[in-house]
Amino acid sequence: MPRYELALILKAMQRPEMAAALKRTIEALMERGAVVRDLENLGERSLPYKISKHNQDHRRGGYFLVDFDGPPTIVSTMMDHLGRDVDVIRPTFLKHPVSKTEECGGIIPVNYEDKLYTKKK
Amino acid sequence: MAATLVVSSRGWGRLQQILAAGQGASASCSVLWRRGYSSQQEQVSHNEDLNVFICVPKKSRSRIINYYLFQPIQMENPYKDPPKRCVLCGINVDYKNVQLLSQFVSPYTGRIYGRHITGLCGKKQKEISKAIKRAHVIGFMPVVYKDPTFLNDPKICDIRHPE
Repeated sequence: MPRYELALILKAMQRPEMAAALKRTIEALMERGAVVRDLENLGERSLPYKISKHNQDHRRGGYFLVDFDGPPTIVSTMMDHLGRDVDVIRPTFLKHPVSKTEECGGIIPVNYEDKLYTKKK
Repeated sequence: MAATLVVSSRGWGRLQQILAAGQGASASCSVLWRRGYSSQQEQVSHNEDLNVFICVPKKSRSRIINYYLFQPIQMENPYKDPPKRCVLCGINVDYKNVQLLSQFVSPYTGRIYGRHITGLCGKKQKEISKAIKRAHVIGFMPVVYKDPTFLNDPKICDIRHPE
């Protein structure tokens, strides 16, 4: 099962309501056959721009990151479900980023003359 | 016994082989010409018949010998600089790392700087560009301005001196 990351932005609410919203989301994920690995709280910050959703304008939000493994069919069904949830401002599903930082061999100087000009044979 | 220097390709070792082969049985005469030693130090035997002479006109002797014996060893340039690396070589670029991404964005308009200003290599410039656009959509990074908390970060891209 491929590994996904859900970048979730929830409405800025009181702590118990936020917890309830998160619980709803994760239970919905697990119902559809996902295995949740990790839930990170990236803090409550002001949004970079005003987002209007569900007839409301939001300027602050709680950022969360859910790491999970699930079947590929889960993405469309969950987007549907989260679109109907009033507390969720912006849900985004991404593939889990594979952090690869090996063999960066530096900038190899390219000979532009050979590349750009065709030589007469 | 005199031996004519017929042909030599590189360095001492080859010369020894040639001389030894030329002499046949008397392999010890190569001792006179061992690498790095002058012929006066290593004379094992002072027998006349074991001395080796190279027939070459007297005036140009050392130049010709040097030419045949001291060929440069072919090797990669040992003084070569290591390949130049861009600022993000070896650093993992992530859409969540808004501070890093904001360093490559204009503070006034929020536009992404080009390759000639950031000085990044092709791969990293593409990665940064993709990550910034992703962060815009997801709602992590502002689009038309640079986040004010990151305005005093160390400047990597200076638009006045792009290099």
